[in-house]
Amino acid sequence: MASGERLKACGIELEVLRRGTGRPILLLHGFQTVDPEARFLELLARHGEIIAPSSPGFGHSPRPKDFDTVYDLVHLYLELLDTLPGGKVTLVGFSFGGWLAAEVAVACSHRLDKLVLVDPLGIKISDRETPDILDIFNRSPDEVGRKSWHDPDRLAPDFNAMSDEALVTYARNREALCLYAWHPYMYNPQLPRWLGRINVPTLLLWGESDGVVTPDYGDAYSRLIPGSRFELIEAAAHHPEIEQPEALVERISRFLQE
Amino acid sequence: MQAWYHCENVYPFVPQEVLDRAPSVRASLPNKYCDPKIAANLFEECLDEHLLCDELGINVVSIEHHSGINSLYGASPMILGILARQTKNIRILSLGTLITVRPDPVRVAEEYATADVISRGRLEIGFVKSGDSEMVSGNANPVGYVERFWEAIDLIQKTLTSHDGPFSWEGKYYTHRHVNIWPPPYQRPHPPLWAATGDPETSAELGRRGIINALVLRGPEASKRAFDAYRAARREAGLSAPGTDRFAYAALCYVGDTDEEGMRVGSKTLWFLNTSLKQSPQMSKFLPGRMPPEVAAQNYRTRPRPGAQAARRPADSLIGITPEQAIARGILCAGNPDTVYKQIMDIYDKVGGFGHFIFIGRSGFLDHEEARKGIRLMAKEVLPRLPAATSTGATELLSANAAK
Repeated sequence: MASGERLKACGIELEVLRRGTGRPILLLHGFQTVDPEARFLELLARHGEIIAPSSPGFGHSPRPKDFDTVYDLVHLYLELLDTLPGGKVTLVGFSFGGWLAAEVAVACSHRLDKLVLVDPLGIKISDRETPDILDIFNRSPDEVGRKSWHDPDRLAPDFNAMSDEALVTYARNREALCLYAWHPYMYNPQLPRWLGRINVPTLLLWGESDGVVTPDYGDAYSRLIPGSRFELIEAAAHHPEIEQPEALVERISRFLQE
Repeated sequence: MQAWYHCENVYPFVPQEVLDRAPSVRASLPNKYCDPKIAANLFEECLDEHLLCDELGINVVSIEHHSGINSLYGASPMILGILARQTKNIRILSLGTLITVRPDPVRVAEEYATADVISRGRLEIGFVKSGDSEMVSGNANPVGYVERFWEAIDLIQKTLTSHDGPFSWEGKYYTHRHVNIWPPPYQRPHPPLWAATGDPETSAELGRRGIINALVLRGPEASKRAFDAYRAARREAGLSAPGTDRFAYAALCYVGDTDEEGMRVGSKTLWFLNTSLKQSPQMSKFLPGRMPPEVAAQNYRTRPRPGAQAARRPADSLIGITPEQAIARGILCAGNPDTVYKQIMDIYDKVGGFGHFIFIGRSGFLDHEEARKGIRLMAKEVLPRLPAATSTGATELLSANAAK
């Protein structure tokens, strides 16, 4: 990200992407940081001002020593919400960022006007011997690829075509994710109890073919958030924003206009 | 010089077609392929080899690897307990309980202190950072493991040296509010400490702490780099130059009556490299935290860019190695007693000396009788000719420990 734009929160100079104007849309990325060239950014920017920071340790955002838990991330974004100028904020979270967005919404619904969760992680639904969330660190790269993408041959990252810099960012993002989410793996055991506190209109969007967290998980997630709506995106798996940007943004924009 | 017999108690009896089909022979290979009756025989044989070492004046190493054909010693403290009781004379090195995957270092210290007492002060404690697949099978976060490694060592050392009632530890990785182990260790202030690493940065810290640095299957060049870093760190810290007693070199090694026998039998140990190192990519090159992102990034390419240096873990270069290559690279010493002596001394001269030679004398399909013969010849024909270790001032080592 050559522009090098920064956004300060908790004393950390976060790398940030900004697009569009209008209602503030705080976008929390998933396993990987947001690609500045991504089609969905351009589409979503027609509906507000997107503010998409890279979490500490991801992308080009520094990670202070001992900043290494989801607790830290949640409080970072709570502080960011307090300091963003303007009125209420629309919070959008993808995957891992969806977990963070749900946590933030539990703690701070009054600063939000709407919440959009796209294939979020963060809760445990099934019994103790049934993992809900695909182990992207311990399962084979082939399996992870198959379950992450509706069409792995089309839009999954082509490592051979990526620049050295992009690959380093990719590896850095995985390291940060592993640090924050290794244990318990990608969820907070206490979160389901508190999701009922979310009192802003909430939309859960789910890739129909998602094998990282399945639509059944999404449906269960939705039932824990009062009044929330659950919708599937066809021909997409864990990354609908990349596989079906038009369909995803169309759903989000309709929800924002309601 | 001290010689140390090292046997990983491998399990080579899984059908080759199963191993070929399996993405990994560690961590994920189902344990239905391990017959506990065969395992019982292997334990008996390997423990008997350690008892033979006890008769012959060769020290022994107890290791720990998890969930794979490369070792049945998943619960190292149990092996240590048996060795502590059944051997009578030799020193026993644990290299070691995998402290980066164990949740409570106090418990590790307790097990070590117990083994030290049972053996009446013959225990040596080695620390290892653990292999990639062990982070997976040990459920341990691979990111931050080096920092965790040092905190575990600090807590174990404090636990072993505290004798005036409970102390409290609230560190970054470990909290234990009431630490007061019984029994305390037999040796004071604590058993000698070792660590296995080839990473110069870690070796430098070992130097400052006076911990013995063991290099396992790294060859003379990497070993010299590590030992040099160790020496330099002590020099820079104003500490005395280390004797060779601070350095250990480990290789696959077999001594036969003839060169032909030594090579033929010794080559069997290469199974450890050629068969038992196979790990899935997600448990090795793609596991986060094991190398900096700047280095790890290249692992993702299936077609390396021209001129780009692919990131390789030390183990990667050992898979598929031939006996001749292994000897040339100082990974294997094999032949008649004269040959093996010369091979060891050649490495000794290249690295600037070491006081401990760890010989991995049994692996793969090398059998019990062959192992016994190799141990005997090592003890009678090679070990007596190896140079004595030079020592490092004991008081200075202790003050280095206290100062850190």
